[in-house]
Amino acid sequence: MRLPDRVTGLFLVGLGAAAAYGGWRLPPVPGQPVGPNVFPLVIGTGLALCGLAIAFGIGRSFEEEEHLIPVEGGQPPPPTGKFYGLRALLPPALLLFYVAVADRLGFIITAALIVFVTSTALGARWKLSLPLAALAPIAIHLIFSKLLRVPLPAGLLPMPW
Amino acid sequence: MLNTLAQAFSLICTWEVIVSMLAASVYGLVIGSLPGLSATMATALLVPVTFYLSPIAAIATIVAASSMAIFSGDIPGALLRIPGTPASAAYADEAYAMTRKGEAELALGAGVWFSAVGGIAGTLSLMILAPPLAEIALSFSTFEYFWLALLGLMCATLVARSSPVKAIAGMFIGLLVSCIGIENPGGIPRFTFGITDLFGGIEPIPALVGVFAVAQVMRAMLTPEPPPIPRRKFGSIMAGQWRLTRKYHWQMTRGNIIGIIIGVLPGAGADMAAWVSYAMSKRFSKEPEKFGTGHVEGLVEAGASNNASIASGWVPSLLFGIPGDTIAAIAIGVLYMKGLNPGPTLFTEKASSMYAIYLMFIIANIIMIPFGIVMIRLASYVLRAPRASVMPVIMLCCAVGSFAIGNNMFGVVTVATFGVIGYVMEENGYPVAAMVLGIVMGTMIEQSFVTSLIKSDGSVLPFFERPIAAILAAMAIGALIWPVLVWLWRKLKREPIPATSPR
Repeated sequence: MRLPDRVTGLFLVGLGAAAAYGGWRLPPVPGQPVGPNVFPLVIGTGLALCGLAIAFGIGRSFEEEEHLIPVEGGQPPPPTGKFYGLRALLPPALLLFYVAVADRLGFIITAALIVFVTSTALGARWKLSLPLAALAPIAIHLIFSKLLRVPLPAGLLPMPW
Repeated sequence: MLNTLAQAFSLICTWEVIVSMLAASVYGLVIGSLPGLSATMATALLVPVTFYLSPIAAIATIVAASSMAIFSGDIPGALLRIPGTPASAAYADEAYAMTRKGEAELALGAGVWFSAVGGIAGTLSLMILAPPLAEIALSFSTFEYFWLALLGLMCATLVARSSPVKAIAGMFIGLLVSCIGIENPGGIPRFTFGITDLFGGIEPIPALVGVFAVAQVMRAMLTPEPPPIPRRKFGSIMAGQWRLTRKYHWQMTRGNIIGIIIGVLPGAGADMAAWVSYAMSKRFSKEPEKFGTGHVEGLVEAGASNNASIASGWVPSLLFGIPGDTIAAIAIGVLYMKGLNPGPTLFTEKASSMYAIYLMFIIANIIMIPFGIVMIRLASYVLRAPRASVMPVIMLCCAVGSFAIGNNMFGVVTVATFGVIGYVMEENGYPVAAMVLGIVMGTMIEQSFVTSLIKSDGSVLPFFERPIAAILAAMAIGALIWPVLVWLWRKLKREPIPATSPR
């Protein structure tokens, strides 16, 4: 996901310009010199300027090299396939999955699926991930639903408490 | 004053406060000690729980969890050379070198002891600094608040350990996020794109959870698992700490003071305090050649510093609602939720609550010593928990916690979105802390800016006319121009030697 500064910088220019334009189009409050349009205009302009500076490498000399501590006797570098980088998108995808199906399937089932997928993706064997998927949702449900009274969706598998 | 103190005592001497404080301490110690789970993340995940507690208990959990997590980040730093929290990164190498020399007890003991001392020093600074500042702050108008908030944001970008331009860009992104919703001077939907869920704006807490927790799980997907910790028997942990205190009392005091100053500066938190103090310690040490070979001096100073910054970070938060660091940003959210709106009047009207906060800080730092010793002894068990079992639970907490904040599925969408934003920003060198502060302070900046503009009839001059406003303005503008000047200066200095670095 590491992109060249020129790409991120130009993206920020676009974002800033869009924000400034969107802010500028907002209707003013009648009878007042300043309204909701001023702030986005200022922010958008600033963001666009920053984007330009980043795209053209102004102030880049400041960047300190990353302070990574090498792990002694660590594992070999991870395999880097074509789609390896996409694994990072798994957690947000699972959260959106939760939003989509939690009301229908209920908290316990959805949560168990999330736990199973996450722990498998992190390299757990089924001996760890299956019990975890069974127990963790129940524990979380107990804490949040029973103790803190968060209305978690019951769905297909309501808990007895 | 004695009366308020007694009231404060009765506020914290309830079962709810005591139990939540103890539970939060254990939680903070465990999360802080697990590599990759930062103190900010520990605190952010606590917020949904604090919803259901009384105001004092809610603050107690945050105080306890954040103080403990900052200390406990030292444990894997010393034993594995992997800092548990970014605040321990500055001296993880040093502590690990001590462990290899067979001085693990001394390194970890120094972590506990000087963290506790630093925390108490930070609390004292909070007690001493806050009330007189509150007196001054009572006379502040929107002009001063505007400059103060801007100064806060500028500090956050100045101290970021990346390019200041990117930090400023991150800040602007955060401010832009805060524009979303109908809570603006005109009361019209702004940047909502017709989505009703966006009318209420982006809540800072789900955004924080996304940026600090989900993004961390995303990173874990791509990084190899840290090695398991070797089992070891520990000798006495506190032995020799008193000797160290006497030998390095000057370093300790300097660490405390640096930590306090950096904590008070908005935006700069414990990690910055640790880096600066470690560097200071090396610079002024009588035996700088020993640094990096397992020398305890830097540990003393940096350990004293990062915990001091935690408490002093509450000074600007309580007084102005301007967070001293990202943990304080979360604390501000909780304060608002609990009706303890930050502001100078807090110290006059809710004095007993303020004293309760001081007391809780002191208690948290005292119980840190026994709890910390137990945690060090148990560390080899806790750190054996494989990442594949911790991260899924974090995911569930993110989902449930963000849902609980508004009993609204949109919170979960926010968390997921900000996870991606935070991940991409961090990968490309944009500091997320600057964005977070932008989100937290956006509404305040806009309100004070627009109100000031309306008061001044669109003229810029009144922004500089009041004396304190003028000073704050000079500082804020200076902070903005400073990086530009340094950059120009470096550029000019480098010009005569064209053959060097193509950058």
